Amino acid sequence: MMIRKDTLLYKVTQLHWFLLLTIIAMAMFGSLILFSAGSSAHDLETGLLKIDARYAMDHIFRFTIMLGVALFVALLPLRLWAALAYPGYALGIVLLFGVEVAGNIVNGSQRWLTIGPLTLQPSELMKIAVPLAVARYYHQVFSSGRTSLWIHIVALIMVLIPVGFVLKQPDLGTALMILGAGCSVIFFAGISLRIVGGIIVLLIAMAPVVYFFGLHDYQRERIHTMWDPAADPLGAGYQLQQGMIAIGSGGLAGKGFMEGAQKELEYIPEQHTDFIFTIVAEEFGFAGSMVMLAAWAIAIVQGMSIASSSRSSFGALAAASFTTTLLLYVGINIGMVIGLLPVVGIPLPLISYGGTAIVTVMVGFGLLMAVHLNRANDMTLRGLL
Amino acid sequence: MSRDWKNLFPSRRMIFLTGGGVVFLGLTARLAELQLFRQQEFETKAREVRIKLEPAPPHRGTIYDRNGRELASSKRNFYVTLRPEVASASRDKLTRQAEIGDVIERIGKLLRLSDAKKRSLLQDATTPPAHRDVLVADDLTWEEFAQVNVMAPELNGISAEVGELRSYPLQAAFYHTIGYVQKANEADISRMVDAELAAAGETLDSPEGKKRAVAVRRLYKHPAMRVGKQGIEAYGEMALKGEPGNERLLQNATGRVIDRLPSEDLAGKPGADVVLSIDADIQAFAIRRFGIEAGSAVMIDIATGEVICMMSTPSPDPNLFVSGIASAPYKALREDERNPLYHKAYDGVYPPGSTFKMVVAAAALESGAMKPEDQVSCPGKAWYYTRFYNCWRPEGHGVVNLHTGLQKSCDCYFYRAAQRTGIEEIAKIAKRFGLGHRYELGITGGKSGVVPNNEWKLTNPRIKEKWYDGDTISAGIGQGYVTATPFELAVMVARIAGGPQMPDPHMIVGGIRVPDNTITPMGEFKPGVLEAVRAGMFAVTSEGGGTAVRSGELDPEGKLPAPYTNARMAGKSGSAQVRVITAAERDSRGRAIPNEKLPWKLRDHALFVAFAPADNPRYAVSVIVEHGGSGSSVAAPIARDLLAEALRIDPGARKAFVPRARDLAAAAATSGKQPT
Repeated sequence: MMIRKDTLLYKVTQLHWFLLLTIIAMAMFGSLILFSAGSSAHDLETGLLKIDARYAMDHIFRFTIMLGVALFVALLPLRLWAALAYPGYALGIVLLFGVEVAGNIVNGSQRWLTIGPLTLQPSELMKIAVPLAVARYYHQVFSSGRTSLWIHIVALIMVLIPVGFVLKQPDLGTALMILGAGCSVIFFAGISLRIVGGIIVLLIAMAPVVYFFGLHDYQRERIHTMWDPAADPLGAGYQLQQGMIAIGSGGLAGKGFMEGAQKELEYIPEQHTDFIFTIVAEEFGFAGSMVMLAAWAIAIVQGMSIASSSRSSFGALAAASFTTTLLLYVGINIGMVIGLLPVVGIPLPLISYGGTAIVTVMVGFGLLMAVHLNRANDMTLRGLL
Repeated sequence: MSRDWKNLFPSRRMIFLTGGGVVFLGLTARLAELQLFRQQEFETKAREVRIKLEPAPPHRGTIYDRNGRELASSKRNFYVTLRPEVASASRDKLTRQAEIGDVIERIGKLLRLSDAKKRSLLQDATTPPAHRDVLVADDLTWEEFAQVNVMAPELNGISAEVGELRSYPLQAAFYHTIGYVQKANEADISRMVDAELAAAGETLDSPEGKKRAVAVRRLYKHPAMRVGKQGIEAYGEMALKGEPGNERLLQNATGRVIDRLPSEDLAGKPGADVVLSIDADIQAFAIRRFGIEAGSAVMIDIATGEVICMMSTPSPDPNLFVSGIASAPYKALREDERNPLYHKAYDGVYPPGSTFKMVVAAAALESGAMKPEDQVSCPGKAWYYTRFYNCWRPEGHGVVNLHTGLQKSCDCYFYRAAQRTGIEEIAKIAKRFGLGHRYELGITGGKSGVVPNNEWKLTNPRIKEKWYDGDTISAGIGQGYVTATPFELAVMVARIAGGPQMPDPHMIVGGIRVPDNTITPMGEFKPGVLEAVRAGMFAVTSEGGGTAVRSGELDPEGKLPAPYTNARMAGKSGSAQVRVITAAERDSRGRAIPNEKLPWKLRDHALFVAFAPADNPRYAVSVIVEHGGSGSSVAAPIARDLLAEALRIDPGARKAFVPRARDLAAAAATSGKQPT
């Protein structure tokens, strides 16, 4: 059967099905893990099978909704998203400013903004909006053919303004993510490697200064805890240490589905959100952890290949940037759970329980697939805002 | 110059992918370190030293009688627990079973446990989860405890502990009212979780609710924790149990508790002490007085509404239940035809028989259907509608009026009175006298008897018929559909004696509040109504021809102090048939087969309700002797003796005991003071 090329159906057939199936498989694995997080083969109190599928059901529900959103994003023309990049960025800045002025304080940081019935976390929006705006900026600059270092400096300022706002909330994790996503655009846009190297050297040199003067006490404590989790077993290092015991005791093959013992003792706070990887590692062992990492590696390589196939600079830069975001999510989350990085509040996408991260990640995947569908379009400036 | 980035992109991609590869390699290396090379270490750690917070059962509130006598208290308890994960660390099921079995065998020899007990222990200890304490035995002697302590290091997973155990010093006397505590089963635990969540206004959906539920579960799983199973122990569980504290335990790598760390800052709050209005001496006297008879007695202080005695007999010793009762003795208790487990006074529903005649008399007078002087002639039986209704005395009573009708308990008079008054008026007065209501006393169980009328009969799912005129005739002598519990009968006679001013009956005077807003108020009667009924009851015991005339004297020797000197009681007998008397069971003169010739189980219940002193009522009592035969000859003497004892002790003269408040903060402050 022939499908006409200008129909929606044709577009659907041209979707990046491999990436899509990888995402779905990972989200399903995530709900399996969340099922285990609530359940237990031998409940501590009763010794019986205990089943609590609420986390898992919620997760599937949210994922299904967001899968729809991702497909919607993917099937709309990429031009539209390019056109919306600047307004989105501007809106994000306004909202961040709003948070600063009138935000809700939750757990000591001011991240949320309530507008009527809506509660927003604008910093989350910026994980997508910042790289899109910067990519759009480069797209325009490259079309006009200009090139100089100033171009990159302007881009860097575009990145640093929202990062500054988010740091002030304070939300170190999200700030780092926005910084990473934004800088990755500058990196892929071709900033000289010498400058990149210079900045890295400068950052390393400044690290002690930042550590002693630029960080909050609790942030310093988290870094200290990472080196020596046993120093304060009932305080900051507790979660980390118990998490590592769970991971380590999993061994090669793991203890088996729903057989994790640490979770029953409720030793690991936030285990179903940021520390979800401890369940993967405890119940499915090293083997399971490797499968998980491999799945993410596949997603990241796919993202990068989509980026390089794009003829438009906007598409390529946006795709590369979102792929970087994915790498940051996975690297930071797993890195902190296994004690390589200080504890910052970064969830594991598609696996962790929670509503905000899945929105960001699925919108990002939608954009990635939109870039893939529009890879042949070099998007001249005509018709763009 | 878009060429620039296009040309650069592959190399940038290469750098990115290399960087990503390094990150993933780093993660892999670290995971390999944790999961492959250091697995052993973490696996040990998973079971290792932690400062563990174990819930510490709070001190359970004491239950006192009105004089401050302890009815339920806590005694020191030496007990032994087994932690399965320490007894055997093996993952293989058979090895585990063997290793744990060996430990149980050895501790069993030491404590002389029965084979059945050892089997059930092994069953329990080999069921996951292994990281909890299983109770091996409790209520040990000091010698046994010391021996276990000495042996414990050789017995993996065994530890000897000291805690508190509930004890009931008066044994059987308060089984039905106070109830008992026992180890909580799954149903108890979910009940308590629900109760705690409801009290805190939380649900399982919220994190706090979930946390609370887990805490409650852990507490009731503690080997030293018990839960109230019935009576006040169950009703007042929330108040009695107190707030659990926590104890810091230091566990070593094998899970053995190596040390208890100071935990004063985590101490819980002891439970509330509960004070009953019951006088333990009168209660004990009542049980002795019943002897081998089965039955119940309820006594109420008319002036205060306080329940002075509420006993059912025979009654088991609640101490038997605290550590779990074996199945054979329990079966024996359950199958005993004298129903020791049954709270006859509160749950037992009996036909009130002739004790209901006061209700009919009051209803007839109050409604104006009869005047006190109206006469009815009694030929021994009377024809109503479709058949003859027999009087208990086949020879008849001649001409009787209200006073002599009550005095001689003439059935014919009350057939007539009931017929003229009608069931609706009778039911109204019965309710006002306190019948047909389950009184909330702060204990589990409790029933309400039936005060029938047309509406009741139509809506009762098992009858669904209209009220027949003949039903009213039977109701007139307390038969047919009318039923009442001994407690309701005690309230009835207390209200008759005390009048509308009598306070509502209650049994708990301190510790927990037991409001009952649904009690029907007595309301004012026409002048002379209650007086006429009381006079009739006085005649029963004190005028020639009264059915219980031998039992009226409470102070034959005049030894009681004023105002009780030479006191008399007023009362009314009753007997409740437990079977329908068929024509074949009557002899040629229409007499039923006398009770003494029937098997015990078929004899009538003997009832007596009374108050004393007759001229200035203070105590009201209802007595029922199951299958005792005649109320006037069996139950009346018991009622007389109980009232005489009550007048002698006069519990109502003293205010109920108030326990000393256990003010922990104050206690700590005093003990911390340095002598100067």
